[in-house]
Amino acid sequence: MFKKILFATSATEACDHAARVAFDMARRYHAHIDVFHVLGVPTRGYSQVVVDLTTGDEVTLDDNYRDLVKEEIRSYYDHQIQTTDDFAITVTIGHPHREILRIARAEKPDIIVMGGSTGASGSYAHKKAATGSTFQRVAKAAHFPVLVINRPAASFWGGFSNVVFATDFSDAADHAFAFAFKLVKELNCEFHLFHALDITCFQTDNFHTQDTIDDQIRNAIAQIRFRYVSKMGDFKPYAMEVWEGIPFVEIVKYAREKQADLIIMAYNTRQTDDPEASIGSVAEQVILRANCPVISINRSVGKE
Amino acid sequence: MPEGTLCNRQPIQTDEALKTLLSDTGGRQYYQEMQSLPVDTPLLWETIQKTCRSRIRTWLSMCARCGMCADSCFLYRINDRDPKQVPAYKIQSTLGEILRRKGRVDNAFMQMAMETAWAKCTCCNRCGLYCPHGIDMGVMFGYLRGLLYQQGFVPWELKIGAGMHRVYHAQMDVTDADFTETFAWMVEENEEDYPGLAVPVDKVGADIMYTVNAREVKHYPEDLAEAAILFHLAGENWTVPSRGWEQTSLAMFAGDWEACKIQVESVYDAMERLKPKRMVGTECGHAHRATVVEGPYWAGRKDGLPPVESIHYVEWLAEALRTGKLKINPEKRIKEPVTLQDSCNYVRNHGLKEITREIMSYIVEPGYFIDMSPNREHNYCCGGGGGFNGIGLYRKQRNKALITKRDQILSTGAKLVIAPCHNCWDAIRDLEEEYRIGIRWSFLKPLILKMVEIPEHLKPEE
Amino acid sequence: MYDLLTGPGLKLSIGICLIGLIIRGVLYIKGLHWQLDRVAYTAHLKAGIRGALRSIFFWILPFGARGWRTQPLMTVLFFGFHIGAVCIPLFLAAHTMILQKALGISFASLNQTVADVMSWGVVVSAFFLALRRLVLPEVRILSGPYDYLILFLSAAPFITGLLCRYEIGDYSFFLLIHILLGEILLISIPFTRLSHILLFFLSRAQLGMDFGIKRGGMKGKGLNW
Ligand code: HEM
Ligand code: SF4
Ligand code: SF4
Ligand code: SF4
Repeated sequence: MFKKILFATSATEACDHAARVAFDMARRYHAHIDVFHVLGVPTRGYSQVVVDLTTGDEVTLDDNYRDLVKEEIRSYYDHQIQTTDDFAITVTIGHPHREILRIARAEKPDIIVMGGSTGASGSYAHKKAATGSTFQRVAKAAHFPVLVINRPAASFWGGFSNVVFATDFSDAADHAFAFAFKLVKELNCEFHLFHALDITCFQTDNFHTQDTIDDQIRNAIAQIRFRYVSKMGDFKPYAMEVWEGIPFVEIVKYAREKQADLIIMAYNTRQTDDPEASIGSVAEQVILRANCPVISINRSVGKE
Repeated sequence: MPEGTLCNRQPIQTDEALKTLLSDTGGRQYYQEMQSLPVDTPLLWETIQKTCRSRIRTWLSMCARCGMCADSCFLYRINDRDPKQVPAYKIQSTLGEILRRKGRVDNAFMQMAMETAWAKCTCCNRCGLYCPHGIDMGVMFGYLRGLLYQQGFVPWELKIGAGMHRVYHAQMDVTDADFTETFAWMVEENEEDYPGLAVPVDKVGADIMYTVNAREVKHYPEDLAEAAILFHLAGENWTVPSRGWEQTSLAMFAGDWEACKIQVESVYDAMERLKPKRMVGTECGHAHRATVVEGPYWAGRKDGLPPVESIHYVEWLAEALRTGKLKINPEKRIKEPVTLQDSCNYVRNHGLKEITREIMSYIVEPGYFIDMSPNREHNYCCGGGGGFNGIGLYRKQRNKALITKRDQILSTGAKLVIAPCHNCWDAIRDLEEEYRIGIRWSFLKPLILKMVEIPEHLKPEE
Repeated sequence: MYDLLTGPGLKLSIGICLIGLIIRGVLYIKGLHWQLDRVAYTAHLKAGIRGALRSIFFWILPFGARGWRTQPLMTVLFFGFHIGAVCIPLFLAAHTMILQKALGISFASLNQTVADVMSWGVVVSAFFLALRRLVLPEVRILSGPYDYLILFLSAAPFITGLLCRYEIGDYSFFLLIHILLGEILLISIPFTRLSHILLFFLSRAQLGMDFGIKRGGMKGKGLNW
């Protein structure tokens, strides 16, 4: 399941929680871990100058500098690195999301692990030029599950045993389900299939009584059965539930209640088309608030 | 005095030499060596005798010294009207002086000339429009750059850039395989949203052969994806060549005419090989200038035209919008004050002034498009043209040069600047970084993609 | 002396001027090179001629080009100087008579007031052009003795001409000086920057062709000079 982990990091505090999860996973599942760092964004036209993403300074790139940064990363993660011997550190330049996607495509990791609040990276102007954060753009394009940790993953202790799959019945959710099911089967986890019925759209409309909401809930349960459970064969340890409310709130609440150590859900691209929207999809809202890792999936996993 | 190991008269010919020069961080040793680089005066004079003909000689000798060109040059205006920035002065004190001294100039002179040619002129050719005698200093600075390059007096980044073209046939170390591979990657990334999306490589007889800027391949592959998607949505029969896909030419900025020829011939070869009806180039100004406007002459094409009709991206886009190949959702048109950067390289120097405005009329809600002043062929350079953007040695001067554009943008009041040119785009980004005036900037492709209607048969199945 | 200057002297100086200009023109055109100049002059002659004519037209029209409009003072001085500088030598009544006598060509001649205005225009403009050179830093840096010499050489026949016109001082002396200066001016034309009388048209035509053929002239309405 997790033989190869790509840990994309800014090598700063912002990625510390992610680092813990990434290295714990590597140890637990005996995985190879690629520590990947984009040290700078090219700037100044065609010149050799890059903006160092950590310091914000302009530096002229050469091998020395590259090695220096590599060394810095190694000492930053010194502690964690000692627990594993199967790792590699790669540094490169470019636009972070692009380079993460590039190396993912070449290395075909089983999962990409990122810090949640790395934010839009880069210098001031790069921030402005980029629509959305590095995570948004990676999540949107990747054919890989992307695991993000924003808050200290309190309930995560190295392995997964209790997984929430939150669906919005989209195509992307189907991809997410495929991955989630594979994961729970291989890792012997409890599986919680969950849908949050969005009632924000009912608010202006008093025609909708509790009855209609109940109808919809029944509907959703039926859908879960039809779309997912029917594909689970004789897999037993699962439960399903549909709550109404504001989706991201309900998902987080549900995960907490079930003491989930992992949430898997679709990253729905269309909602983040608007460059002005700093708060993106439901997935991003969940990431901001969940106290366990969140894996977001937007496309069929492992294709190509 | 011998030539340096890094700074010398030999162009970069091999990957190894390229790497060696690149590893000299910031060109420290390179510029050190330049201090003692001897001038090969016989070669200089001989070259002038062969290549400096009546046009330039007459320009230099007939200049009325009237100073009417002074105000036309944005670098003169922005540098507190320093008389030493008057175009006529700049060219007379360099190229003019070399001719008067029959090439007998020394190292210090050449270094001064280098700074003048690359830090005091962006070859925007605006002054040529304001001289009563029709003297185009931009053209002469281009010529001067050639002489300086031949003598080894060229900024470090441009020596590398020209070398890249010689070694990779591209402005960066992007190989032909990287190019097609990156396109394939972009198809993978987007084919779920755009079923049927494909990038035909080396298709013979297509309607359009698309050429790009290597930087897109290396750092902004989204741009390739956007181009592919828009061609796909427009239903174009298009292709990219597996060789000869690079449209830009840092060699042109460097004055390395031989590399210019090598570069542009690689594109023309692709045209001959694939026999497309037309070539469309990406949103780049100097690339268009190099491949479509100047290129035919480097390649020795007597009719001054590329082997097949070659157009800029804005021409294709305007046509696609005009003929309805691409349809804009009127709801999604830009509804905020927006302005447009006229790139000297295809507006002043290739007449594409109305076509970009036609595009604006399709994509901007009436009343929201605000022109800069001056505009069209009288626009000012963005401040980063002619290689200025990338030269570390002249960073300070370049940042100052950006002020012209900054103030032009500020006085439009627009917060969004459309810059269909890589160099201009870079310069505008840098000016935001330097001066923080709170603007956004964009190429056309991403904007169009946000507002284009997707034909029913091309939509992904729900 | 007078006869010498108005007879063979005039013929000689006009001859030198014309032949000299023709040679300069021929050398200029022969020196153009489609590949080195990067303009396919002959391949697109029509577009080229159109571009050339537009380039000349807008610049000989007062305030015709944006360059003229943005610098109105200079424009007034330029045309104030040049209209007279071109018309007076050819069309002043006294000149047409001499030309008729010496070369057998006759031009229509100017009305006296018009001629006066033009001549004064030349002299006054020349004065201000010189002043401009001294005062404006962007022009001063470009100016050397040669520039003042050319200006003086051009204005001198007009100054002396006016002295004769108003019969100030010794008329016959100033007349001789006037004719002499005029002939020196004629002779110097091909050898100095004054060759711009012809080369202006060729250079403007060249740039016009450049824009007309290569730099966008075939892409739309043509350059807005
Ligand atoms: C058709 C004929 C002519 C044309 C098209 C022409 C055009 C020009 C132009 C474009 C300039 C440069 C702009 C300027 O410096 O003001 C110039 C300058 C000048 N021209 Fe002419 N010119 C012509 C005839 C003459 C003649 C006949 C004379 C002399 C008698 C003359 C004397 C000058 C002088 C002295 C200058 C330099 C002005 C200065 O000091 O700035 N030009 N001319
Ligand atoms: S405007 Fe033309 S003639 Fe006048 S100084 Fe400038 S280059 Fe010379
Ligand atoms: S080409 Fe442009 S930058 Fe260069 S001297 Fe002329 S106006 Fe100035
Ligand atoms: S970068 Fe743009 S504005 Fe500047 S000279 Fe080039 S084309 Fe002109």
